[in-house]
Amino acid sequence: MFDKLDPRSPTPLYAQIANRLRVAIAAGELRPGAALPSVRHLAAELRVNPATVVQAYHDLESEGFLEMRQGAGTFVREVAPESRARERARQASALVRQMLSEAGRLGVSLHEVQAAIADEIGVGTA
Amino acid sequence: MFRVILYSQWKWSRLIVALGSVAGFALPIVSLQGAASGDRSALAAGELLQAVQSWGVLYPVLAAGLGLLVAITTWAPDHRGRHVHALSLPVPRWRYVALRFGAGTALLAAPIVAVVAGALLATWSATIPPGLQGYPVALAVRFALAVLVAYAVFFAVSAGTARTAGIILGILGSIILVQILAGVANLELDLFGRLQVIVLDWPGPLAIFTGRWMLIDV
Amino acid sequence: MTNIIEIRQLHYRAGKTFEIKQLDLNVPPGAIYGFLGPNGSGKTTTIRLALGLLRPLTGRITVLGDAIPDHAPRVLARVGYVPEQPNLDPVLTVRETLAFQAAFYPTWDRPWAERLVRQFDLDERQPFGRLSKGQKGKVMMLLALAQRPDLLVLDEPTDGLDPVVRRDVLSALLDYVSQRQATVFISSHLVHELERFCDWIGVMDNGRLVTEVPMERFKNGIKRLRVAGAPPTAAGAPFMLLAREHANGGAETWVVRDWEPGMAAYFETIGAALNDVIDLDLEEGFVELLRTFRSPRG
Repeated sequence: MFDKLDPRSPTPLYAQIANRLRVAIAAGELRPGAALPSVRHLAAELRVNPATVVQAYHDLESEGFLEMRQGAGTFVREVAPESRARERARQASALVRQMLSEAGRLGVSLHEVQAAIADEIGVGTA
Repeated sequence: MFRVILYSQWKWSRLIVALGSVAGFALPIVSLQGAASGDRSALAAGELLQAVQSWGVLYPVLAAGLGLLVAITTWAPDHRGRHVHALSLPVPRWRYVALRFGAGTALLAAPIVAVVAGALLATWSATIPPGLQGYPVALAVRFALAVLVAYAVFFAVSAGTARTAGIILGILGSIILVQILAGVANLELDLFGRLQVIVLDWPGPLAIFTGRWMLIDV
Repeated sequence: MTNIIEIRQLHYRAGKTFEIKQLDLNVPPGAIYGFLGPNGSGKTTTIRLALGLLRPLTGRITVLGDAIPDHAPRVLARVGYVPEQPNLDPVLTVRETLAFQAAFYPTWDRPWAERLVRQFDLDERQPFGRLSKGQKGKVMMLLALAQRPDLLVLDEPTDGLDPVVRRDVLSALLDYVSQRQATVFISSHLVHELERFCDWIGVMDNGRLVTEVPMERFKNGIKRLRVAGAPPTAAGAPFMLLAREHANGGAETWVVRDWEPGMAAYFETIGAALNDVIDLDLEEGFVELLRTFRSPRG
């Protein structure tokens, strides 16, 4: 799940981990009630500072995605479908923004982007 | 702690200790090989003394050799790493050195006991001509002291850096070798005595190596 | 809270050319402190001085609250040390090596040591001298961890190890750190490896400590700026200018330190245009820092 962790990216590691978990929860990969790996286990597996994992988990807890139960571990919360949909929409916007900024840098026009999308998914978007 | 250090030193020096024990046991017996049979005339007594004296040269050589080799194997594992591992252990340096010294001393008990056993067996089973007497215990005690003195000296040399230890031990090792060869060739050569006189006119512990080592004497 | 390692005004000399001068170093409790520097900069020497293996000329060293070298044995009982070379007794088997070490540390955790042997896939009966480099590296880390230390001092523990072994060794290290509030002082010249988990960074060059800051500040603070139309001397800059290079067409690349986003306003005041702010990763930042440290510019 976490094989694209990039310490060189400007996004801090805890944010990268949190993002990945957020997407997994929103997409249903991680079901409500599922247990997340312990801080110890994840820190060892990803070879990151345990404080990094703790921060990611805390951020997600304050957003309502996770629940850290004393002594038992960290579990995925039952997230309302609207929250999940909102999260997916947020991810989609982020993807589009990223793509458009990259396109701008490469000198690809909006029209060309739209044509490419139509090609890729086989349906018109204009 | 002593147990693990003793074990590691035993692993390094077991061959030397074993061979040294065999040699230490055999030496007194071999030196009296002529005396096992029959009666002796006065002339034969002289020959016996001559034989005992010649073989006797090997005692200090064996003692020094054992002391040297056990001292080297004591420090061998630490030298390679420049004592970094030993210095990073949570014991004061003097205590670590004492543990190593004690372990070597314990291992040297084996050849010493072998000499005691060999000397007692040799004098007990031999027919000693009248006028002569056996001194197995005195000889064995002298051997024990010589081994410990040699070990202490070489131990102190080895405890330092590998290079200086190597140079000093190399020189001493060659002297021992020459002494052994002289003994085998039956030459009257007492290098350690000579060395002692030349280098340090020191009537100290090194004097134990000089003179004659007689299992049987008047 | 007092620092776990505290070095003040350390002065040491070896031979005619190598010298450590006025070294001040602080490792806060619970930190994972990355000690970076090129080969020959004095990292190993500093570590040896900190553990009492070498004696300084002057200076004060305190580790885990005790003075070094006066109370070194007491301190060393709580320090797991991986030296730069794995020079253990080659004749002892892995099992015997563990037994040897265990005899010296009352806090030795035998069940965990055995679990680590299995985790590292080591053959206990192999003599240490016949292990591969990677296996030796694993044994060294195992010995340091099984002791359950309060402080881990690791001198290039993954140097020369293949990537798989590096992962295993670092995983075990971080597993321990997660269980226990241990402090880690790890030196390496593999910058990208430390980037993942260190929260403090100290950079050493030529016997001096060039910088010592929290990791985030170091990574975020060093930037490459694309600037146009700047005057020859840029006075009153709120950041520290490390380097300034001219490209063609009046554009320049500035490498700066201690950058904060609000500082963009500065460029208007000098009549220049800030066209881009580029992040540098730890390795690039480290290289730039050393480059300018060695040939300082105004």
